Amino acid sequence: MSTSYTRRGFLGLTSAAALGAGLSACTGGGASTGGGATQGASNNLRLFTYEDDSTIGLLKAQVKKFDEQNGTTTTVDSLPGSGAAVYPDKLRTELLGGKGPDVWRIWGGQIGSPFAKAKQALDLSKYYDKYGWDSKINTAAIGGMTFDGVKSGVPFLALGVGAWYNKSLFAKAGVSAPPTTYAELEAVNDKLVAVGVTPCGLGGKYGWDIMRLFEYLLEHTAGPDLHDKLLTGAESWDRPEVVEAFTLFKKWQDKKWLPQGALALDPADVEPWYVQGKTAYTITGPWTEAAAILAAKKSSAAFGNFELPTDKSPARHSGFVEGYMINAKSGNADKAAALIDFIVQPATQKAMNITASTVKGAEPDPKTLPLAAQWSQKYGNNPFYTIQDQAFPKKQADQYFSVQSDLLQGKVAPDAASKKMQEIVSAWAKS
Amino acid sequence: MATTVAVAKQPKRGGRWSPWLFALPALLVYVAFLVYPAVSSLWFSLTNWDGLSATYKFVGLDNYFKLPHDPVVVTAVRNNLIWTVVTIAVPTIIGLLLAIALNGKVHGKPILRLIFYTPAVLPLVSIASIWGWLYNPQYGAINSFLRLIGLDGLAQPWLGQDSTALWAVMVPAIWLRTGFPMLLYLAALQGIPNELYEAATVDGASKWQQFWHVTMPSLRPAHYIVLALSLIDSFKVFDMIYAMTYGGPGTSTQVMGTWMYFNVFQYYQAGYGTAIAVVITLVAIAVGIPYVRSQTKEAS
Repeated sequence: MSTSYTRRGFLGLTSAAALGAGLSACTGGGASTGGGATQGASNNLRLFTYEDDSTIGLLKAQVKKFDEQNGTTTTVDSLPGSGAAVYPDKLRTELLGGKGPDVWRIWGGQIGSPFAKAKQALDLSKYYDKYGWDSKINTAAIGGMTFDGVKSGVPFLALGVGAWYNKSLFAKAGVSAPPTTYAELEAVNDKLVAVGVTPCGLGGKYGWDIMRLFEYLLEHTAGPDLHDKLLTGAESWDRPEVVEAFTLFKKWQDKKWLPQGALALDPADVEPWYVQGKTAYTITGPWTEAAAILAAKKSSAAFGNFELPTDKSPARHSGFVEGYMINAKSGNADKAAALIDFIVQPATQKAMNITASTVKGAEPDPKTLPLAAQWSQKYGNNPFYTIQDQAFPKKQADQYFSVQSDLLQGKVAPDAASKKMQEIVSAWAKS
Repeated sequence: MATTVAVAKQPKRGGRWSPWLFALPALLVYVAFLVYPAVSSLWFSLTNWDGLSATYKFVGLDNYFKLPHDPVVVTAVRNNLIWTVVTIAVPTIIGLLLAIALNGKVHGKPILRLIFYTPAVLPLVSIASIWGWLYNPQYGAINSFLRLIGLDGLAQPWLGQDSTALWAVMVPAIWLRTGFPMLLYLAALQGIPNELYEAATVDGASKWQQFWHVTMPSLRPAHYIVLALSLIDSFKVFDMIYAMTYGGPGTSTQVMGTWMYFNVFQYYQAGYGTAIAVVITLVAIAVGIPYVRSQTKEAS
């Protein structure tokens, strides 16, 4: 059937039937967009984010500065610690309720994509021209928030994921320097297990954390070109490189290089384990310095980071972007864009301690965040592959996590897992 | 002498519309917050709405036809059935036994009652977090205890494998749901006249016979309430699963409620997810009808 309806139209119609014409008029049956009509212009803005306690104060201080300069009043609401599994739901509900924020923070790729495709996020092309963001912001990062050719977001963070380790546990295992090849990494894992230390702390609840290991293994076995093609469905997953990656993935669990029962562990619990001395390292990004190391009142000097060795050229790590979108129904789009422009100024980024800014001149301060600065200097310019939970839509990402789960439980063999992945990706690519 | 008194007929104020006028405010609230959303949901289940866009297409019953072919729905229905049977039977039996024990001569009854009922008033997310820590394979109290007493072989990644995850989530569900039937049964037990037991004793009935022929029949109204409310509670299962396993590992602990949520809120398949919600509602209504009928019969 091809009849098309608008959600508001239906709501209006049924309201009229149920409650009479007077009440239906209140619900606005004639509007053609979800979540209510365009809000009126005012000096009040609302920004929705997922900053945690360690960073929300810095953001609020900068927003206050913007308000003072522009005569606006901006409310900052945050849903900390929820991750990409919950935050987009809350945002979506707010938008459909007609009281969505004027500006919201969001991840790029397939997490931000639905908001752009549903036209809940404003096309920001004219603001890109007005503020010259194209020349100020990292081009690859802008690509991560461009959907079907429409620039729907302004990236301010381009985060790389690597290994963050506890130096004392490496020393306990007799490891004096980070590994530079995959074979060396495996040798490090063996040495750590031999002294009773679990090497890599990752949690499988939600799927996305333990996925960071598999995507690294896939980069190691498939290499950059093939990996990129696999993510878009341009090449079949049913191939030896993928089977090898799944085989290695299982090996990491079987050799106890992952915590026991990793599949059930919550990433929020497991990630700080390397700081607490329960695991030797984890796979995470530069935010961990503020969120795990400094929050635990530990010295950054006791920890280190390194890019996971892929043995491939160019050396790449997993990465993703985060940025801001503007509500398509906001009556304050100009002021919202001005707020975003203020946020992506190098001075603001530095004041907010942004660890991997997309803006030149906002590199992390080595005095306050030495490890983030070190990562930025050593690996910040290396290319990255799209983190896999942003490469696939949520449904396909969950199916993919399910395959990983079955593999680690021994319910499917690596070759069957590869075939299953091919079914999932090809079905998505065709849709 | 017979006297005839003429009774003048008093006109009824408001006439036959009076009851409706009194019921109107409640009816309006009911229509606005229950009937209207329910009708909306029914409609959206017949569309391909993604839950975010302004437009959608009418797809008839397509979403319903897809349900039996969705392997996760099959898993979810099976899990719902297991969950319903276990989380009704076990807490009800334990609750009844506790109520009988507490109805006797036991020291510290109020404190014991409080201890047994406390889990029922704790926030579910807190319970999920607490039990998540208890189940932690490496550092959790359960596995640590098993290792301490030499049962290392029984230490498991309880929430991390398909074979144990659902059962592991049911344990805290049973723990928190035992207090409610216990309280209801306790109240009902205190309402059974002592004379019945005295008469049974005089007739030579053993304690066991008294339980089956005096206590259990007297508890029939309480059984109805406990079973009906537990049944509805079991069908609504969502929060424990969501907070403890997020439907995993993989999709092994998905139930209809969580799968509906995933489709509507995470996969941008609001039409399909709403069809799942409609099915859950229809099943809940079907199993709720006998309870409503029994209550109506009793009232009349």
